[in-house]
Amino acid sequence: MASSYTPEVSGGGFRARVQKLGGHLAGMVMPNIGAIIAWGLITALFIPVGWLPNENLAELVDPMIKYLLPVLIGYTGGRMVHGQRGAVVGATATMGVVVGADVPMFLGAMIIGPLTAYVLRLFDNAIDGRIKPGFEMLVDNFSAGIIGGGFAILGKLAIGPVVNGLTKAAGSGVDWLLDHSLMPLVSVLVEPAKVLFLNNAINHGVFSPLGVQQVAESGKSILFMIESNPGPGLGLLLAYFFFGPKSLRPTTPAAMIIHFFGGIHEIYFPYVLMKPRLILALMAGGASGVATFMIFGAGTVASPAPGSIFAFVAVTAKGSHVGMFLGVLIAAAVTFGVAALLLGFGKLKSDQEPDDDTTSEAKTPEEIADEPAVPAQRTASEDETDSTRKENA
Amino acid sequence: MATINGKDIRKLVVACDAGMGSSVMLASTLRKQLGKTGVTVEHTPVNSIPADADVVVCHSGLAARARSVAPDKPIVPFQIFLGDPAVTKVVKAIQQGTDLNV
Repeated sequence: MASSYTPEVSGGGFRARVQKLGGHLAGMVMPNIGAIIAWGLITALFIPVGWLPNENLAELVDPMIKYLLPVLIGYTGGRMVHGQRGAVVGATATMGVVVGADVPMFLGAMIIGPLTAYVLRLFDNAIDGRIKPGFEMLVDNFSAGIIGGGFAILGKLAIGPVVNGLTKAAGSGVDWLLDHSLMPLVSVLVEPAKVLFLNNAINHGVFSPLGVQQVAESGKSILFMIESNPGPGLGLLLAYFFFGPKSLRPTTPAAMIIHFFGGIHEIYFPYVLMKPRLILALMAGGASGVATFMIFGAGTVASPAPGSIFAFVAVTAKGSHVGMFLGVLIAAAVTFGVAALLLGFGKLKSDQEPDDDTTSEAKTPEEIADEPAVPAQRTASEDETDSTRKENA
Repeated sequence: MATINGKDIRKLVVACDAGMGSSVMLASTLRKQLGKTGVTVEHTPVNSIPADADVVVCHSGLAARARSVAPDKPIVPFQIFLGDPAVTKVVKAIQQGTDLNV
């Protein structure tokens, strides 16, 4: 029965679609994190308020953020759509949105790079097989040149100004949240989305573009620290280690090391998906962490990616290290406390086995087919029904 | 249930969201376990599962996307990253050349 592993050919499910869109956004940024970190470290070192102020080397800061990083993102976005040819026109067209813009054009690059590559792909498909032998290279080069150049002009005249306005509006939205001390509430949205494997989409698709704008303005940003804070995950794993189902306790120390030092947060998501009510602990921990960062005015100069404590130490802005460590520790402590409470300090009988069947042996194909959609619907509100069910049982 | 024989698996792909984090970790673990069998283990983003993969391993939270990208591939969803029984079964099937239900 071939359909047993092919139940959702259409890629159905709201979560899969959101994940896919987010995956595209993050996919344009993530291969370029190395360049973003290079820029962040140069900024942290050589700007006037940095560790080693140096006017000569600080000249690197502006061109890198304004040109290099958006062009790399446009290049990568183009490559995702149409290979090397797409990458070339994506980078070319990105120049149209970055020249003359007064904010880092990450968002503009994420739009125009793939769009230009898509148009080139349509053109390539349309003329496929119709070129007279010997003229392929002429047509290939000039089609890419004309489409890439055309979109650079379109970007400069039309897309750039619009995205410039949008980026500024998003930036002032962030400022408003900071001014009104509402930033911790962002964790309430971020933490559940994170464990549904939207972590990269949020961090690199949303926070990174806004964060670099803040770093360019003020030398540091709190936005990089919201999703990547390893504190909540550590607190959760500690709670599992002491009070979780006995069968899972031995796996948690290794998971803690991989999570906290290796920065691979995915490793703790399953522990949350097994007991969805624990998302409340992560929300509380994440919000406390963000609040601490805010009180201490902590920020990083680039995305700590992966979200390891080592990456945090490396990219934390000068003077922010105390706030950073406190934020991580408080987030871990709060998450641990709330999660321990939710796990009944290991005394709830019903909790001694994971809610979800982890030995996927027992599952029928139908269950496996349904499975991906299930955790998406398990939000905190449904959490109550979940625990009531258990008490009845 | 579709069945695939462990002997027919030449290339195992571990997929995660970005293809840079958790999949790399699991792939390096599996590469060690499958070193002697000559099976190629690769890690990729879930959006670009290669056409020559014989079996795809990914977290159950990403299985829907894996199925939409590679509808004709056997997908093995797992729950936990360390010592998941579903993954262990794949390794056993490859090592012993036994049948694997997916």
